[in-house]
Amino acid sequence: MKNLPDLNRVNDKILKVKQLLLELEIEATQFPALSRNSKRALASIKMLELNISDIITFDLADF
Amino acid sequence: MNHQEYWNPVLETMPLEKLKCLQFKKFKRILKWAYTHSKFHRALYDTAGLTPEDICSFDDIKKIPKVEKSMMRGIQNKDPFPYGDALCVPLEEVSIYRQTSGTTGQPVYQPDTWQDWEWWSECWAFVLWAQGYRPKDRVFLPFGYNIFVAFWAGHYAAEKLGCEVVPGGVLDTQSRILKIKELKATAMMATPTYVLRMADVAKNKMGIDPATLCINKITCAGEPGAGIPSTKKRMEHAWGAKVYDHSGATEIGAWSYECTKQPCGMHINEAMFLVEIEDIDTGQIIEEPGRKGKMIITALDRTAQPCIRFDSKDVIEWDSVPCTCGRSFRLIKGGVIGRADDITKVKGVLLSPAAIEEVVRSIDGLGDEFEIIVDKQGDVDRIKLKVELMPGVAKLSIEKTLKDQLRLKTNLGYQLEYYDYGSLPRYEVKAKRFKDLRVKNIIERKIKI
Repeated sequence: MKNLPDLNRVNDKILKVKQLLLELEIEATQFPALSRNSKRALASIKMLELNISDIITFDLADF
Repeated sequence: MNHQEYWNPVLETMPLEKLKCLQFKKFKRILKWAYTHSKFHRALYDTAGLTPEDICSFDDIKKIPKVEKSMMRGIQNKDPFPYGDALCVPLEEVSIYRQTSGTTGQPVYQPDTWQDWEWWSECWAFVLWAQGYRPKDRVFLPFGYNIFVAFWAGHYAAEKLGCEVVPGGVLDTQSRILKIKELKATAMMATPTYVLRMADVAKNKMGIDPATLCINKITCAGEPGAGIPSTKKRMEHAWGAKVYDHSGATEIGAWSYECTKQPCGMHINEAMFLVEIEDIDTGQIIEEPGRKGKMIITALDRTAQPCIRFDSKDVIEWDSVPCTCGRSFRLIKGGVIGRADDITKVKGVLLSPAAIEEVVRSIDGLGDEFEIIVDKQGDVDRIKLKVELMPGVAKLSIEKTLKDQLRLKTNLGYQLEYYDYGSLPRYEVKAKRFKDLRVKNIIERKIKI
């Protein structure tokens, strides 16, 4: 599909951000402002996964 | 192709076969999640002798037992309180409580995590983007922000899109209209009943023609009105705005929407939901257009209290004509046609309240409000239709048209009662215009469509 970003590359970036946020959440158990905001950001990352990563994970991008 | 037309240009234009593949894989994922995390779902599937591993093809999905609203009522108020054991997450993960309105019985409680709430507004983002909402819009929400989900997710989705949102919560109708005028709001979300009510108040109590305000699009939900041509026409005429239909439910999510092409139907968001249409008599899944049935729906990504093969009782049918907007998400013709509970036999003929609404709202001399009462005179069914005459309109001038149109559209005769404009009850959210006094428990009635 023309004019759209490379979904594989986008997915790689989504997964990297997710990984960083998961690390932040785990590291910050004694720091509520950090852990809760990381958790909340992870919910938004999940929406990126539903919009993009599922297409890659389920191998549906080849059109 | 202009990708800016779509919230997600990949998912919304994905070929149907691939969409089906996506739905199947997501169905397996949510099924496994529910089986693993909810005692209720595990027991349901164990009783049917099924595990997620038994679902090997799209056709296998129909083996999974349906969930009825009464089953959800049956488990609530037990542990974990108040939701019961359909809950798939620890209670401390639940970030928001909603409940159904209780129209058909005891309200059902609905827990959502923050991720589920993000998902709710994501589904609404598909709706609003398809209806032309953009960051430049100032969106007014004239609804009571409370325990009912109503337009809450529409609010959050509009924010997500970058719109400016004006929450018109506890204001009364006149204050809301004045605020729309003062702020030059460009868009609005409300039930069809309330869209017409606001127009009526603006025009007849405040001397303001709503068509002169800046509202250019209205999203309707909660009732079928925006899918009924004559009601849609009345709303569009009154406000000088495009009116778009949307359907969602507390237990399900925001599952369908009309796009700016206004194809006389709604797209199902088939990336986020799996919709099956079931023949009410045989229980068979209807694949082809042109046959009405009730909707069985799965929310493919909702996690706290999953919605898997939920018997919604919404009556819908597939449309045979694809939409010109380029979306591959299939259309349901005319939106939600009604509730299986409301479509009933009168004098041996099937009666849908939506068909009566279409007739009443198509006659200029009649007001927006009406009431249908079905009862018995001796052993014979009787339908009483109460309508309002607009000021200065004589009963004689419209009676023949009304009778003829009702006969033509519903194949039934009516006892007509005429009232002065403004006499019938007004509603601010969902209207209750249909009363069947013949049988107390309409849900148990055998319904044939």
